Amino acid sequence: MLMTVSQWGVWILLFWPQHLTLSTPLDCRDDQGSLSRCTSISQEKLLDRVIHHAELIYRVSEELCSLFEELFIPFPFRLQSNQAAYACITKALPIPSSKSEIEQISDKWLLHSVLMLVQSWIEPLTYMQISMERYDHAPDMVLNKTKWVSEKLFSLEQGVVVLIKKMLDETTLVTVYSDQNTVQNDVQPDVLESVMRDYTLLGCFKKDAHKMETFLKLLKCRQTDKYNCA
Amino acid sequence: MRLGMSSNRQQRLCVAMMRNVAGVIVLSLLLVFVQLAAGESFSPPGTPKNIICRSPEKETFTCWWEPGSDGGLPTTYALYYRKENSDTVYECPDYKTAGKNSCFFNKNDTSIWVTYNITVVATNALGRAFSDPVEIDVVYIVMPNPPEEVTVTVIEDTNWPFLRVSWEPPEKADTRSGWITLIYELRIKLENEDEWEVHPAGQQKVFNIFSLRPDSTYHVQVRCKPDHGFWSEWSGTTFVKVPDYFPRERSMWILIAVFAAFIILTFAFIWLSYMKIHNLKHYVLPPVPGPKIKGFDKKALKNGKFEDIFSSLVVSDFPPTTSNYEDFIVENLEVFVPEEQELIMEDSKVLQDDSIKSENSTCDNDSGRSSCDSHTLLIDKGGGDKEEALESDQEGSHDERVPTSPEEAMEEDPLACCDEKNSPDISEKGKFTPSLFSPLPRYNLMNQPNPPEMGKKHCLSDSPLNPDSLPSYFTQPPSTKNDFISNPWECNFNHKQHPLHPQTTGKEHLQVQNEISWVHGDRTEASLGVQAPSVRSTEYVEVQRVSGGNTVLLHPVSAGQENGGTMSHQTEHYSRVKTVNNDSGLLLLHKESTGEEMGICLSEEEVESRATSNGYTASITPTSEKPMVGINSALPILDDRIASGYVDTATMFGLPTY
Repeated sequence: MLMTVSQWGVWILLFWPQHLTLSTPLDCRDDQGSLSRCTSISQEKLLDRVIHHAELIYRVSEELCSLFEELFIPFPFRLQSNQAAYACITKALPIPSSKSEIEQISDKWLLHSVLMLVQSWIEPLTYMQISMERYDHAPDMVLNKTKWVSEKLFSLEQGVVVLIKKMLDETTLVTVYSDQNTVQNDVQPDVLESVMRDYTLLGCFKKDAHKMETFLKLLKCRQTDKYNCA
Repeated sequence: MRLGMSSNRQQRLCVAMMRNVAGVIVLSLLLVFVQLAAGESFSPPGTPKNIICRSPEKETFTCWWEPGSDGGLPTTYALYYRKENSDTVYECPDYKTAGKNSCFFNKNDTSIWVTYNITVVATNALGRAFSDPVEIDVVYIVMPNPPEEVTVTVIEDTNWPFLRVSWEPPEKADTRSGWITLIYELRIKLENEDEWEVHPAGQQKVFNIFSLRPDSTYHVQVRCKPDHGFWSEWSGTTFVKVPDYFPRERSMWILIAVFAAFIILTFAFIWLSYMKIHNLKHYVLPPVPGPKIKGFDKKALKNGKFEDIFSSLVVSDFPPTTSNYEDFIVENLEVFVPEEQELIMEDSKVLQDDSIKSENSTCDNDSGRSSCDSHTLLIDKGGGDKEEALESDQEGSHDERVPTSPEEAMEEDPLACCDEKNSPDISEKGKFTPSLFSPLPRYNLMNQPNPPEMGKKHCLSDSPLNPDSLPSYFTQPPSTKNDFISNPWECNFNHKQHPLHPQTTGKEHLQVQNEISWVHGDRTEASLGVQAPSVRSTEYVEVQRVSGGNTVLLHPVSAGQENGGTMSHQTEHYSRVKTVNNDSGLLLLHKESTGEEMGICLSEEEVESRATSNGYTASITPTSEKPMVGINSALPILDDRIASGYVDTATMFGLPTY
């Protein structure tokens, strides 16, 4: 026994790991040459990305809307650009709607407005995606676009959250303003109603996407030049 | 004896213990040595290195690491990451999708809003190894897949084919919505070359390549890159064969032309350099010839002696003195001038060949009597004498012929008229008869060799002209007196001169009548009191035309036409012989008013008219050298028409009025 204990002690001494190094996280090292060295993305870059994101979403939603209109909506039923504003689901949101209001709102509220918009559209878009799959011969392009928009919107929400956290230095809970009235999964409306509803939904979403993009661009303008932005 | 046995056992135990300890020590020493000799076979793992993360479409990304030594023991690797400013450590969700030593982050785990802090830990039985952490920003690690569907086609629309390369963005990269913006680059090389030719293509998906080598194979590759990111791998090589064409035509010809021009210039330069400059200058700019006057001495001029100089300039034979006017006479016309009537005929050389009728005219060139200016000139054919005279005149002899009596009779009136007009002429006889004269400009009738239409110009003397007389050559052998010689020649005398008109007309009439009476013996005009001798050869000859001033074409006038003295013929033009030069010429005068030409009546002899240099002069050379008296005078200038040497009776109008 004694030998074993001493033996084991010798063994342990001999096989003690000699190179036990604790890897400490070093300072920000960039994989690429001139990119950020720190652990986080800068605020300006983040804002640019968010704006770019919003632009893409608006562009794709515009294409989706026109495509949907051509495919499913006959001429008499087509909405004009100024008609469907009141029917949108987000009309109840406390977001600025006129230029004067936008001028008065602060950066914080601007960001929060954007977040509200984004979050309010996640659900309806998901629903629309499901609804479109029920059509008889919806082309793949429409479906793909809808899916894409839905995904990107979700991503945008994340970005806005990060942005808010970075700009306003606050951590907000990700909350989804879901309006239950819009989601009627159990009811199976007829095709025409469904189509018309989707059509209206798409139109509203297109307008809101444009609002998001505008708010974000306005925010950026304020960041760079506080005196020239309208 | 018992006591020795227990001590033996103790001694044996001690020895055993000592053996064990020594064994242990030896073993441990051996182990140490073995360990030192065999390296790290059993050791904690080495640190993973070179963590590389890439995202193909900015929606997912994958990280790869390079494992260190595993220490001889099975080692596990784990990837841990933290999100930006968060301490929550997450582990890689997927180690398998991307292969060994990799970690795949799917869409849900990928966020473009935050950075990732990634660490790989190697763990084995003996320990762990932590790699260096890596900061990841998904946007900046985008490395797309290579472009797809690279197609290369040869466009052969023109003579110069070119390549058109087209491709598609990689499948996963979402360029359509603008999520990723890609720029492209392609490279090309010939089949047997080593170096690629790189062409940036921007954001377009089509690219043209020109200036190809014919009949060769090219390799083409394309790659792409997002605006912030890494270049993709080169796409697979696409092979293209360029057909054979001949693009060298234009460039080859241009080259040949330039080369030839260069050679020519070189030769020209060499030639120029061989030539003396002086010669060249003379070749290009020939010297201006200076004045060279024969006998002129420049140096004398410089000396200032003008008299000497200019005297040398005086040429002795200038101005030319007219020594002998006869030199100008080519041929001599022998005019047989009847006493009474002098007919001047003009003849050309051609007529010499034929029998020339001489025509006698009593008119004198100088006298200007109108009586002489009958439009028809009685052509006194004379008799054989005349004709002989003519013929003799043809030969050029100058014989003075005395007209026969009828001729004389004929001559009387004209002579009378001639006396009025030109008295000096009357004195001349035999030589020539200045039958016609008028203050018209005189003409010089040049002798012309063989005028085509003219033929001879005769004033036939004897007989009235035949109606069918031809205005061409005629050969009228002066055979009979009464023969109506179809004489195309007619001496017409223009008696339409204004100043003498009233005077002349009467006299012309008279003359005519007289002439008629002479000529036509059977005429009824005998009432004129004109002697009607057996005019054997008096004919009316009308000057058809004057050719070249030399000849006067005469054609006989039909008898009928001469009735009433109306000697007008359709194509008759009458002019008068102004004067007869001294034995040399018969000057025909042109009637100004009518612009008619002259008619020359030649003598019965062969008449040749010669034009002197100073005007038209029907040079009727009398047989003798008797100078023309009084006739030779300065005559008025010729008419233009005559001056041209051609008097066309046929074309002239304004027949003289009688």
